[in-house]
Amino acid sequence: MQRYDVIIIGGGVVGSAVARELTRYRLSVAVLEKESDVCTHTSGRNTGMLHAGFLYKTGSLKAQCAVEGNAEFDRVAKELDVPFKRTGKLLIGFTEEHRQRLLAMIERGRANGVPGMELIDRARMDEIDPSAGGNFAVYCPTSGILDPFLYTIALAENAAENGARYHLYTEVVGCGRLEDGSHVLHTNKGDFACRWVINSAGLRSAKISEMLGIPGYVIQPVKGEYFVLDKKAGAFAKIPVYPAPTERNTFDTHATPTVDGNVLVGPNSFNVQDGEDYSVRQIGMDGLQESGARMFRHMKREYYIRTFAGARPKRIDPATGEIQDFLIDRPDSVPGVINLVGIESPGLTSALPIARRVVGLIREKEELTPNPAFNPVHRSIRRFHEASREEQAALIAQNPDYGEIICRCETITRAEIVAAIHNPLGVSTVNGIKVRTRASMGRCQGGYCETRITALIREELGKAVGDVRLTNGSSAMFTGFVKGGDQA
Amino acid sequence: MTHRQAVIIGGGPAGLAAALRLREKGVSDILILEREQRLGGILRQCIHDGFGLTRFGESLSGPEYAQRFIDRVQQEGIECITDCTVLDITPDKVVTAVGRSCGLLQIRADAVLLTMGCRERTRGALATPGTRPAGVYTAGVAQNYINLQNIMVGREVVILGSGDIGLIMARRLTLEGAHVLGVYEVQPYPSGLPRNIEQCLNDYGIPLHLSHTVVDIRGRERLSSVVVAQCDERFRPIPSTEQEIPCDTLILSVGLIPENELSLAAGVELDARTRGAFVDEHHQTGVPGIFAAGNVLHVHDLVDFVSLEAEQLADSAAEYLLSGSLPECGLEVKAGQDVGHVIPQRISGTRDFTLSLRVRRPLQNVSVVVRQGGREVLRRKMRKALPAEMIQLPIKAEKLTADADMEVCVE
Amino acid sequence: MKRTFTCIVCPNGCEIDAEYEGTNVLSVTGNLCPKGKTYVTQELVDPRRTIATSVRVTGGALPLASVRLTAAVPKARIFDVMREINQKTLDAPVHIGDVVISDILGLGSDVIVTKNVEKA
Repeated sequence: MQRYDVIIIGGGVVGSAVARELTRYRLSVAVLEKESDVCTHTSGRNTGMLHAGFLYKTGSLKAQCAVEGNAEFDRVAKELDVPFKRTGKLLIGFTEEHRQRLLAMIERGRANGVPGMELIDRARMDEIDPSAGGNFAVYCPTSGILDPFLYTIALAENAAENGARYHLYTEVVGCGRLEDGSHVLHTNKGDFACRWVINSAGLRSAKISEMLGIPGYVIQPVKGEYFVLDKKAGAFAKIPVYPAPTERNTFDTHATPTVDGNVLVGPNSFNVQDGEDYSVRQIGMDGLQESGARMFRHMKREYYIRTFAGARPKRIDPATGEIQDFLIDRPDSVPGVINLVGIESPGLTSALPIARRVVGLIREKEELTPNPAFNPVHRSIRRFHEASREEQAALIAQNPDYGEIICRCETITRAEIVAAIHNPLGVSTVNGIKVRTRASMGRCQGGYCETRITALIREELGKAVGDVRLTNGSSAMFTGFVKGGDQA
Repeated sequence: MTHRQAVIIGGGPAGLAAALRLREKGVSDILILEREQRLGGILRQCIHDGFGLTRFGESLSGPEYAQRFIDRVQQEGIECITDCTVLDITPDKVVTAVGRSCGLLQIRADAVLLTMGCRERTRGALATPGTRPAGVYTAGVAQNYINLQNIMVGREVVILGSGDIGLIMARRLTLEGAHVLGVYEVQPYPSGLPRNIEQCLNDYGIPLHLSHTVVDIRGRERLSSVVVAQCDERFRPIPSTEQEIPCDTLILSVGLIPENELSLAAGVELDARTRGAFVDEHHQTGVPGIFAAGNVLHVHDLVDFVSLEAEQLADSAAEYLLSGSLPECGLEVKAGQDVGHVIPQRISGTRDFTLSLRVRRPLQNVSVVVRQGGREVLRRKMRKALPAEMIQLPIKAEKLTADADMEVCVE
Repeated sequence: MKRTFTCIVCPNGCEIDAEYEGTNVLSVTGNLCPKGKTYVTQELVDPRRTIATSVRVTGGALPLASVRLTAAVPKARIFDVMREINQKTLDAPVHIGDVVISDILGLGSDVIVTKNVEKA
């Protein structure tokens, strides 16, 4: 049985942020992740928005964490070497009713401590982004966009570099207690023991909570579908454009540039039973085409390169059905557990603030000794296409792998792919390489590079043909050799 | 920065043929840049036969067809850099490329020949609903795995789209022991050649379902089934015609798109119909000294015609390089009734040229009519005309005038 | 009897309307060249096809060499031919035109290499 001081269930952005913040102290830390990689669920399936914090009820954890997380993100992005742009955001309106709601939003933003929000007219909008729809808008200067994969991966890798252990393909199926009072977690990979369990299981957080002996929480997965548009459309999108909030203070479809220059159109929003069903529906896409065109004037079929879906684990009041605030709790009834339930949007923005609150709750119970070796700085894979021509020439001279372009659409080199294949978390799926490098995220969607990436995975890791996987579980890419049988 | 007379982007069939013709015409300083380790382009993975019937009068496989050109390029000592990807072309013809052994190259060229070929349309472009499991491949990717890497992609296969590569792969997969359950085509007619329907599907008892498409893709990890449905004339699925087909593999053969990202960087204007460059009868794009031919210009159905077109390009490029200019092409060629697109889009009216076109829909007993200012230049009767088949018409200078635009239509 | 054939001899893919009795072709229309009639006759008597596949190569720069038949074989024997080819492994180098199997299954057709594979 493996034993740790702290075990975090779930390697999403919050679990990884918690792991990273805990490695600041002399603690042995492990993350149990049931999937092939971090951020394969909610953390990787969203708009990639650094929220400002104006939407949430004043005084709520959502508001506090978002404002805190937003304010520090320039430093965080630098420290972790992840792409981030503080673009600002437009909330657009067409009608007088919209104007009233937008003015209320400015008021709430002020109360929550969001700086600089103002109502602007069409002329100002045209200066900011002429492709935005609407007659007037609220401009919020502090909103930003980030790469949710690279941010989660950077947190996880930085945690791993500072000593946290990631156990992938490891699913918690039951919990118990040892005689000394420590927790034991039963998994498909054997038992793990620990003093503290952090439940950061996202869509499964209510279920894990129940396993830990804390029943009663209800998670309602709310699914959303998206279109990804080509960088040719991205050339028109300078700033995230959201509609005026609905009466219930939620947002419909928005159009958001990504840090890489694509555009995301979505999400729609509907309740589902199974939060891990990421299929997209025709009816959903038909709706997005219509609502997306109101937000973004270049919503054209020729720009579609992909669709995807995600689900937000909303904690609801079982009695009223009302959506609840984040739960960050250290229940007295079950010692040694920190329960994170209903961490949904703005979870990406809030990950580090939540992690610090988790550390605080542990610290109230035991003394934490700083880890003198902790290094908050993480270096991401060097991106060839962002280098100047002189730097590119130097990189190739240093390492000829930089001279071999594997992904033509995104200009990703063999050196980057090989670095991703040897990632510190031990992720070896095709999707894992994709999210670390952007290879195959371009307009040909892997038509040129996928065959090369799978060959490199086999070559670098010595994997058999049958062991090359696309993503989670047994998503085998191949069935064997053509000549020479199925013994692959 | 080095300087070259002619830089050819892509060492596939178009680039190889253009290089050889340039050399024949007396251009000495030629450089081919090829991103793969080997020359030959997509032909390397097209191992079926049927290539070269027009060119060589025999039925060759793709690799054999390519090798005939590669051998001659080597005999001629034409310089090729393989493993070398072009990153950028500027409007003043500075080509930037990188490679393992060549490092970062910047070359100023007198003429740039765009022969990059095409890429496949993807599921993303179709926005097919469903999950994203393993087991969904474009036909060309499956062909690469099977024919180049010895990797089998699946066992129970559904094919969406009746493009030629999809048909060829239906046969390949069947020969290698997979079970191809059917080919589904959203149009009411096949998009591949009739002979491929016959020898790739009918010969192996593989059903072709026209006016059908895939409306759902299922399975979380590996593909477990697809749902197909019949479509109306506007390609919308007809309710209650859905049928679920258990399978582990979906192959997409839903169209090819000329690979013009570099052309756009060079300031070359594209035709929305071909998705390739606007060119004149010299195969010159809107940017002087930048030429295009082959699948980067418009998607061909036969490689023999790619070679021919590239040679015509090279004739003009050689003239451009050796005499310094080419005749003005002030006349527009318009695609009229039932014509999908035409190449070239501009002519001089003073020289012979080859007109290439595709019809918009299958037609029987029609005439392709070429007119200039209302005057009939050429009329070609056709018993059948299919969108799958490119029509090529040689047009003689003596039939032309230099003062009226041209219109091509089907009557 | 009447039947429409799609000729596979060349890319024209002529649709040939044929009238025939047994294996005796009475008339053909729709073919652009005389090969069309020959094709229809052959289809009635003994339909034949060529195939292309690959053979494993050991010690080569590529794992496979593509191969094809030099002459068409009876359609019904295609999978027998495939089984025979699948038994084969070649040692690099191999070159275009190398005969992998001569007169396969006595059908009067050779299996030849269609791609150069040099030593790794």
